[in-house]
Amino acid sequence: MDELNPETWVKNYGDYLYGYAYSRMRDANAAEEVLQETLLAGVKHSGQYAGKGSVRGWLMAILKRKIIDYFRSRKKHAGTSLSDDEDAFDPSTALFDQQGNWKPGAFKWAPSPEKNLEMSELSGVVQECLSSIPKGQADVFVLSVMEEMDSNSICEQLSITPSNLWVRMHRARLGLAKCVSEKWAGDANYGG
Amino acid sequence: MADDKEISELVSQSMRRKLSKEEQKKIDVSTAENEETRRFAALSKQINDSVMGLTIDDSNNKATLPSDVRERLNDSVAKAMSEKLSMSQAGLVTQAFAPSDLNQTDSTIAGNDDEYKEVVIRFQRTRKLAAGGIGEVWIAHDEKLGRSVVIKELNSNAKASPQAWDRFQREAEITGLLEHPNIVPLYMYGIDRRTGEPFYAMRFVGQRSLADAIEEHHDRVKVGQADKLSLHRLLNTFLDICQAIAYAHSRGVIHRDLKPENVAIDNFGQVVVLDWGLAKVLDESELALKMNDNCSLTDSSLLHTSHGEVVGTPVYMSPEQAAGKIELIDMRTDIYGLGGILFSILTGKAPHFSTATETNSKFSEVISKIADANPPSPSDLASVPSELEAICVRALSRKRHLRFDSAIEIAEVVERWMVGQSSKKISYEKLRMEGRELRADLQTQVHDLERNVSFCSGLPPVQELIKAVTEDDEKIWQKRMSTILIGLMEANPGYQSLAFGKFEGDDCTDIVRVEKQQGPITTVRRIPKSRLETRKQNAYMEKLSGRLPGELLTSLVHQSDSADGRTQVSLQSGIPVYDSETEEVFGFMIASCDIYQLLERQLGRRQFGGQITVACDTLNIMSQKISGQLNELSRGKAVAEIIPGLHPVIEHLQTNLEFIDAANSEIYGARIWFDPHVSGLMFLLNH
Repeated sequence: MDELNPETWVKNYGDYLYGYAYSRMRDANAAEEVLQETLLAGVKHSGQYAGKGSVRGWLMAILKRKIIDYFRSRKKHAGTSLSDDEDAFDPSTALFDQQGNWKPGAFKWAPSPEKNLEMSELSGVVQECLSSIPKGQADVFVLSVMEEMDSNSICEQLSITPSNLWVRMHRARLGLAKCVSEKWAGDANYGG
Repeated sequence: MADDKEISELVSQSMRRKLSKEEQKKIDVSTAENEETRRFAALSKQINDSVMGLTIDDSNNKATLPSDVRERLNDSVAKAMSEKLSMSQAGLVTQAFAPSDLNQTDSTIAGNDDEYKEVVIRFQRTRKLAAGGIGEVWIAHDEKLGRSVVIKELNSNAKASPQAWDRFQREAEITGLLEHPNIVPLYMYGIDRRTGEPFYAMRFVGQRSLADAIEEHHDRVKVGQADKLSLHRLLNTFLDICQAIAYAHSRGVIHRDLKPENVAIDNFGQVVVLDWGLAKVLDESELALKMNDNCSLTDSSLLHTSHGEVVGTPVYMSPEQAAGKIELIDMRTDIYGLGGILFSILTGKAPHFSTATETNSKFSEVISKIADANPPSPSDLASVPSELEAICVRALSRKRHLRFDSAIEIAEVVERWMVGQSSKKISYEKLRMEGRELRADLQTQVHDLERNVSFCSGLPPVQELIKAVTEDDEKIWQKRMSTILIGLMEANPGYQSLAFGKFEGDDCTDIVRVEKQQGPITTVRRIPKSRLETRKQNAYMEKLSGRLPGELLTSLVHQSDSADGRTQVSLQSGIPVYDSETEEVFGFMIASCDIYQLLERQLGRRQFGGQITVACDTLNIMSQKISGQLNELSRGKAVAEIIPGLHPVIEHLQTNLEFIDAANSEIYGARIWFDPHVSGLMFLLNH
């Protein structure tokens, strides 16, 4: 039962949990906040730890829940309409002309289908780019892709409609594609 | 033909759902023809693949804990562990139970295995007591200790709401932290091992609430059977509630839903404040100072209140609660709640009862009215002691700064009133006894006067004088009669005159008259025949002449003094004299007293230290004694000028012999009639 000693949690799992939270939230303060809530909830509900599986896994489950809660509260405070942050950054205007066709050179670079990129390098770029798109778009992307939550659950947790979810996801993908192509093209090391 | 933007949307969606053949064909065509679509599709897929299900182990962008964050987190965990340990010691530990056969296990948390303790407690639910808001309350049997307990758990609707869970846990934590004889003791808080649903167990305090006690009291008031002690019992209950709330406030907790229904009175009269479900905790730093080192709140959500939310029970709600001004809710909100309970004790109704009924119980309208309305006044609904009314109105002030500063302060003023009321009651009893003795004393004197008049009218000289034919006979009998009357006058110093006379048409003439002669030495003399008067009958004499044999007439008689023009008032008792042979009314026998002297002598004998005022039916003061001293200056003045607020007392004494000031114990009134509903006196006594 030594593992259940919360005094060792920060030392043993702090970096892992913090890294996980940071990768999803892209905000050091927010990551610290959810990690703290996770650890306190772990202490409080330690009686519920059944001893099956690792303590890290158990704390991870709590952390994931806390991250969703954080997104939900952020969304609640930001308002409920799509326009709150999406209008401020709709990549469509930079990528499409008025007729809805691609502007020439919309993406400066793209990997060729045959070439496998180093995924760990690319994931780093993607995470940087997540910080550059609106939080409302990034949050649904994180929950959908990184957390692999199904659409219904995301809609339910964030109190948004399915169509709103699709719009957010699409804008997130456009924004990330633009950002990644620019970063990749600007760095000679990545090549093309 | 879809444009590029629409195609890009399909590309996005293709990564979340299976596209139709048609949609897929559109993408294929566009990617074959359009470089940008191809790039977007390739980029999106790579981006998706690079982070899908990304864990930290396979990321090369690992964020590590900054040292200051690490330190803060370690501190937080250590603090939470210490709090958890104290919660365990207080019995607030993780437990579980099955729906109808409650079987729970406790585990205290500590650093080592050796320090873990596990116990199993079984509760058998027996009967549902109540359901409301978010919870259900059951009576259950603790099989281990063989006692009844109350179990509270979330109802089925609330189980789906995270806010309800938070609120439920907050209620348990607050109740568990408040250890006071007048706050329901929490035995344990637990989580169902199978369903994960929370519950807690409390002492079973019976099912009688303060609301029941108030209803019983007012039922008795309605039928005039109110026990004098029952209001004092309710007020004692109120003092206990104040103590519980004062304690909670000292711990930084505000109840926010004070009402008689949330106060239980057990079989032994123990008062217990229940239902801390809406309680609010003041800010965390303040709370940390107020809580004992070993007491704690483990969840920061405990400190949260939904902004703009209307919480509380409408008919007892404070204006700031009704207005949804959560930021204005503080201890004074509970002072308003205490005022509401006092209001209910005094009137049998909730303070906003009329608001709720006027608006047909439409919630939003009631709330809006409560937020804007002036405070209700208890005396609008019931007869209420003025001091308690003032206390109640102050506690229910719309402006928070006008309310009492603390629950202790309101308890003190109510207690002071109760103590004062007890000594006041004792002293009022003395007042009442004094008033009754004064009336009885005067009645005795009037009876003596009437008896003497009656006696005189039966003397042999009376009939002898009626039938006397010679002057000598008349002289003899006049002399004999005057001797008797002088003897009677000398024996009764309060008498002014005794006269035997005859009616002659509208006139009346004295035949024998003896009077008191005022001077350095008071003497009684017979008025010589030459000075005897024939005068017009006044109203009193007219009424007397119509009386039947033996029928007395006693009255205050007002007459102008011919010498100085001032009105003199005397108490006269007369009896008609009938000729025994003709059986016709012949004349009268009248005894007259100086009422002022009579009253002064009477009041002068009393040791009473308060104020005694005697008023006649013209509501002028006949005599007054203040703090042992006769106040001659008040004689003849209108009584209402001297004693304000007398109107209801005088009104009452028109048809009753006694006025008892049940509400305030301040004034006592006694009535004596000489000639019923025509002539009499009122004794008014106050401190």
